[in-house]
Amino acid sequence: MHPLSNSKEGEEIVVRCLDCNCDDVCRLNELGCVEGVNGKIISNQQNIILQLGETRLAIARKLAQTILVSPV
Amino acid sequence: MKQPLTIALAGNPNTGKSTLFNALTGLRQKIANYPGITVERKAGTTIIGGVLHKVIDLPGAYSLNYKKLDERIAYETLIGSYEHEDAPDLVLVVVDSSNLDRNLYLATQIMDLNLPVMLVLNMTDVAKERGIEIDPNVIAENLGIPVFAMSAKNKGDIEELKSLISEFEMEVPRPLKWVPNPTLHEAIKLVIEEWIEPCTNIPERAQNIEALRLISEGEFIGAFYKFEKAELGKRVIAKARGIIEQDGGNPMAAEVLRRYNFIGEATSKGSVQTRQNEKTLTDKIDAVVTHKVFGPMIFTFVLLLMFQAIFSWATPFMDMIDLLFVEGGNWVANTLPPGMLNDLLVDGVIAGLGGVVIFLPQIVFLFFFIYVLEGTGYMARAAFVMDGFMTKVGLHGRSVVPLMSGFACAIPGIMATRTIENWRDRIITIMVLPFMACSARLPVYALMIAAFIPATKVLGIFTLQGITFFGLYIFGIVMALVAAAVMKRFFPKGQETPFIMELPSYKMPKWSVVFHNVFERGKVFITEAGKIIVAISIVLWFLASFPKTEMPEALNGDTTEYDSSFDITENPESYQLRHSFAGKFGKIIEPAIEPLGFDWKIGIGLITSFAAREVMVGTLNTIYSIEEADDAENATLKEKLRNDINPETGEHVYSIATAISLMIFFALAMQCMSTIAIVRRETNSWKWPTAMFVYMSALAYICSLITYQIGSNL
Repeated sequence: MHPLSNSKEGEEIVVRCLDCNCDDVCRLNELGCVEGVNGKIISNQQNIILQLGETRLAIARKLAQTILVSPV
Repeated sequence: MKQPLTIALAGNPNTGKSTLFNALTGLRQKIANYPGITVERKAGTTIIGGVLHKVIDLPGAYSLNYKKLDERIAYETLIGSYEHEDAPDLVLVVVDSSNLDRNLYLATQIMDLNLPVMLVLNMTDVAKERGIEIDPNVIAENLGIPVFAMSAKNKGDIEELKSLISEFEMEVPRPLKWVPNPTLHEAIKLVIEEWIEPCTNIPERAQNIEALRLISEGEFIGAFYKFEKAELGKRVIAKARGIIEQDGGNPMAAEVLRRYNFIGEATSKGSVQTRQNEKTLTDKIDAVVTHKVFGPMIFTFVLLLMFQAIFSWATPFMDMIDLLFVEGGNWVANTLPPGMLNDLLVDGVIAGLGGVVIFLPQIVFLFFFIYVLEGTGYMARAAFVMDGFMTKVGLHGRSVVPLMSGFACAIPGIMATRTIENWRDRIITIMVLPFMACSARLPVYALMIAAFIPATKVLGIFTLQGITFFGLYIFGIVMALVAAAVMKRFFPKGQETPFIMELPSYKMPKWSVVFHNVFERGKVFITEAGKIIVAISIVLWFLASFPKTEMPEALNGDTTEYDSSFDITENPESYQLRHSFAGKFGKIIEPAIEPLGFDWKIGIGLITSFAAREVMVGTLNTIYSIEEADDAENATLKEKLRNDINPETGEHVYSIATAISLMIFFALAMQCMSTIAIVRRETNSWKWPTAMFVYMSALAYICSLITYQIGSNL
């Protein structure tokens, strides 16, 4: 497992653990970012763009550091 | 259904909910705010099978966990606890077919509310383009509610949906159809029985959802309902969370995971993705538009192009309107008998109104660009690209959209800050947002630039006028960022809310929606601003026309008498104006504004423009119409400004330094009563609008002073 912020562009991942505060977890969950869901890193520059199914999420780097993922 | 219904449209943002609302209601709709708050409320009527039904378009929400005001209004309306809105008889949950699983999260929450629900799979055309095939019958069977697949753009689909509604028997889906696991079920039951039922006024239909929210969040901060025995509530919630934890579960995720599992099972057989891993158009565009180097460059280029286009494309239309008002004024002047009514209509009403209507084309172009950028999905990318920079200066990535809306008008921009959850980020955004060059500044900028900045070509495609115009917008942005960076130091640092945002797929904007919105905004500009401007123009005409003062006879070589208030270069109209009420008042304030390069006529304009910025041009038009000599009657306002001579010094009133100083003043001063009122409403305090007015006006005075003093001594 590694933080989402350390993933490479194009990498396919599984979200394993949301280690952020309750409000952020709620927001991520309702946008489809839940533990066990598969995704793909579209961009990892200043912030992260994560594709989850048909949802494209822009996530701040700081928050991405608290989302633990593992490669598919 | 033969009885009238209240039908609520609910759904995530960007699902085509408003398009469906427009298609159902046509022109039978009314847009207003919910009473007491600034959330937009859209309601209308539709006729189905000869029965008139009410349709409410609820604010877009990702869930019923009401963190934001919009979401709370949607939730309260659905559960029937919002005092200003009827509880719906039927909920149409509109979902984006190309993103079914994520959209169904909200749908399953609404299904828990004991309300008749129908699922509308919208944007099926988009799903098809992406290779997603959906079987609505399978989805309906799995979810246990009627499902209708459609495209809101298709008239046939709308009629079919109407007929489905008319035949619907209003069955209520079984709550908790997604089946919580035994421990979660036990926890829900505990919270409802031991706290929600005995100690709160939460409506029965919302008890499951509320219990789940409390279990997930572990607290009831921000609850809108009445409750008692808070300590008991906390103990019950802790106990309920303990039940889940003892079973090895996570109270924060228990509901979410179970719901998504249910959704996954419901859609796995009803929705098939036939094309995998193909690079979409959105992927290709995003690779460039969200790039850390190209992204900000593209953002800057888009802004530059937008302002250059506004300036050059609108010019022919503006010239036409200008000509229309000049000719109209002349016609009225020549048709009516000379006298006060003639003067009032020509120099007061027509001149004042004409000075503002002329800027309608620029405002139309500005809103057109803003709605197109929103409609294509670019606005969210602009927020993403600018987030890093915005964070450094004390703002939030989500501040970008409100700030860009501020280019059109500060009021919707300030309302759009509701999407910023953190209070500190939100208040800083509100406090700096009026620096963004709103459309009301446009008339002043356009007038000054057209009159005093040459139209010299730069780099072949741009003009010095366009670049000056762009520079003023950039100046507003820079000042907003500097002010935010300074404010950041004074505001206590609370819990940060990191940037999370959905980036919608790129699509062509729906042109009918764009043009409808542009038309509405143009109408508001003319009717709302027009009312104030006509009233002020009439008052100004009176103040500038009375008391009537005869000019002394012209001096000739033989005359030895000399009236010190009369200058040999002055005409009778100018003399009258200087001795009018307005002239006298302008003279009183002149010493305070003279160091800024402004004379008393500009001073009158500054005073009136504190009601609304665009009044400035109407004021100048009225003053210069009254003052003008007969041979200047056909001159446009910019020509009159260029030719205006100070009778005391014999020099031009306006230099380039004066024009720039005036534009700087307008760029920075807080001259909008409506903005002050909306800040008061949004912050629920007079402290913030007062602070805003004082600091912006002081800054405007100082910067304008520096600009003029340096400019005039160069």
